[in-house]
Amino acid sequence: MGPFRYDISRYSPIKMMAVPIVIFVIAIISLGVNTAHTGLPVTPGIDFSGGTAVTLFTGDSADQIRTYFSGFPLDSIGEGVNNGKYIKFAAMNDAKLQELSALISQRYPDAKVDQIGESFGKTLQEQAIYALIFSFIGMSIVVFIAFRTFVPSVAVVLSAIADMAMTAAAMNVFGLTLNLPTTAALLMLIGYSVDSDILLTMRVLKRQGKFEEKIEGAFRTGIIMTTATLSAIIGMCLVTYLGQVQVIYEISMVLIIGLLFDIMNTWLTNAGILKWYVTRREGREYR
Amino acid sequence: MLQGERVVNIADLKEIVSDWRVALYLVILVLAIISIGPHFEDGQFKTNLQFGLDLQEGSWLQLDFQSVVIGIDTDKPIDQLTADLKAKLDADVIQVAPSKLEVRKLVSKEELTKAFDSLQAGKIVTYEQGVSKNTADDVKQILETKINALGTKDAKVNTLTGMNGITRYIRVELAGVSMKQAQDVVGKQGKFEIRVQTTGNDTEHVLFGDSITSVGIPSQEPAGSGVWGVPFTLSETGANALRNASINTGAVTDPERHHLEMVLDNRTVFSAPLSPDLAAKIQRDPIRELLATTGKGTSALNDAKNLEIHLRAGALPVAVVIAGSGSVSATLGEHFKVMSILAGIVALLFLAIMIFYRYREPSIVLPMVLINASEIIILLGIARFVQQLDLSAIAGLIAVLGTGIDQLVIITDEILHEGKVPSPNLYLKRLTRALAIIVISAATVIIAMLPLAVMSLSTLRGFAIITILGVLVGVLVTRPAYGRIIMYILSK
Repeated sequence: MGPFRYDISRYSPIKMMAVPIVIFVIAIISLGVNTAHTGLPVTPGIDFSGGTAVTLFTGDSADQIRTYFSGFPLDSIGEGVNNGKYIKFAAMNDAKLQELSALISQRYPDAKVDQIGESFGKTLQEQAIYALIFSFIGMSIVVFIAFRTFVPSVAVVLSAIADMAMTAAAMNVFGLTLNLPTTAALLMLIGYSVDSDILLTMRVLKRQGKFEEKIEGAFRTGIIMTTATLSAIIGMCLVTYLGQVQVIYEISMVLIIGLLFDIMNTWLTNAGILKWYVTRREGREYR
Repeated sequence: MLQGERVVNIADLKEIVSDWRVALYLVILVLAIISIGPHFEDGQFKTNLQFGLDLQEGSWLQLDFQSVVIGIDTDKPIDQLTADLKAKLDADVIQVAPSKLEVRKLVSKEELTKAFDSLQAGKIVTYEQGVSKNTADDVKQILETKINALGTKDAKVNTLTGMNGITRYIRVELAGVSMKQAQDVVGKQGKFEIRVQTTGNDTEHVLFGDSITSVGIPSQEPAGSGVWGVPFTLSETGANALRNASINTGAVTDPERHHLEMVLDNRTVFSAPLSPDLAAKIQRDPIRELLATTGKGTSALNDAKNLEIHLRAGALPVAVVIAGSGSVSATLGEHFKVMSILAGIVALLFLAIMIFYRYREPSIVLPMVLINASEIIILLGIARFVQQLDLSAIAGLIAVLGTGIDQLVIITDEILHEGKVPSPNLYLKRLTRALAIIVISAATVIIAMLPLAVMSLSTLRGFAIITILGVLVGVLVTRPAYGRIIMYILSK
């Protein structure tokens, strides 16, 4: 990034972590509020709450579609370019559902229709939560085994938690729901998030040299990594937004948000904890 | 690579390729391309890749078993208990494990507890909706048989068995089939009939499949005798019809010359005489509980299993409801396919631009991007055998592109650290250190994705499997090769 230099020598660990801590607290509060309203930290999409999603290309306007499907619990109509539409219906009973299917295939024979029943959604939701928990525990174990030192390992796990919490809160802000694709994206984020953290920790702990220099070197590499990944995912996001490929578009949106938070959490949160850990260790000696 | 005096000549290339890691990478890359098998067929570009339902026309159905599996704690003999429960609940009850029963009806726990109390049958320890793995496999077989009859070649039936060994859902995927057709396959039953031989090979109608009220699972009768058979129950009218026909045709007096034939969709699937014992009984009363035996041994067991399916006439032993469904039209499937390819290309392009912006050195950027792209090719080559490509698998591929470039950057920077030093030993040390970082981050990605790969979250499996495979290919094949190539280029 040209003239920008990552120089943290002037900042104390607390100063470094102040911004992430404030954002983290806001994120946790907003997730709590959302849990109180919807039962889940992130508003569940049709995969988890049940419902019907329809992807189609039509010259009909949103209003026309609304009129055509009046009498059905239509939730939202997303509009892409090229007349792409993404229509969501809330869960309904079997009879109503068959009526809807017939109506869709009559007017829009080329649509993609996905329907998830309420109880199946519940099962999927449970499993998704288990998946997230197991992933997290698994990741923490690997990190602890790899570093075998407490504070640096905790730092990595903490910044991963922060990434997830902030991303989840941001999903609510951007109107992204928690469904199967976005759950996968959050899991992927665990992987991406620890990538740069591990690089940072390895460079600081296992390399010779001054702390500030090591951490600056790590930043140079880390920021290339994250921006390269980001650019690939932005590319994927653009194409799938324009092409109305909802699944990939949602995955890429979550990854973009997550990677941006990851930059902050790696180079402020994790680096802050590491700085505190290293300076504290350096202070100890026999005289 | 082709800058001024640093032109790579043939001898240099030979030296790079002679490193076993690079050689292995190239061999695998070639194998992957062969495996993908791009070719032209009737002027159209084709590959061996298998596409999932998002990317081609088709439908999927997720079926929810209307059945429960209960763990029990009882003093009563299990046989007695199942018989009692069967009568009490008016449902098929079978034993699936020493202290586990499968009740083939969606009965609430309260209702079951009440039944247990009134029978003084002990306690219900566990209660779960679903069926045992065996039953799930039977259902799968029945569905597959029905789908085969449809002539669809691209069909998949997957049971999703939880960690407790209980299957709650079964998923049917049918390529090239509309939603309506798919629902018919699951719902449609064959025409089943029992006929009796009159004179010679002529037969006459006795009863239709609707007279069969329940069909049991293949079992040995009497237990331990080694003789396999399928028990089934007739309705009262069915039993009367059978009695009348048996007496009128003379089957009760001369069973050998008056076989009973089971006919499914006008095809005889089973033919056997009444046993002397049954013949005598039928002469006195209508008999509702019958047993069709197939003989001794494994082949007899298989016959019994097939007979069970036939007796049900394609009906599933357990009722199912549609828990989820979806369909994609041919045009949208094609659209998604084109968009996925485009997304991949644009992602790679954006990534290449960013990498070039950071390193400004074609001799680094070129191998990096090429290796990254070839990783996707290798992955596709492997994926064709293990995973069909649907939208989430494609997202996984692009995610692999992301982790891949991360790790290539780590290697490059670690080797470039503190400038170029023409000492192969130092390079090697740095490469080893870079690989250590990579192995740890690869392990975390694999661990993070593992739950998704083993859990039954249907569509996300593809994403997880592709990501894990991608990371493995990276760590085992492409990263070590890249390390050697970049070392070679930098030390020139």
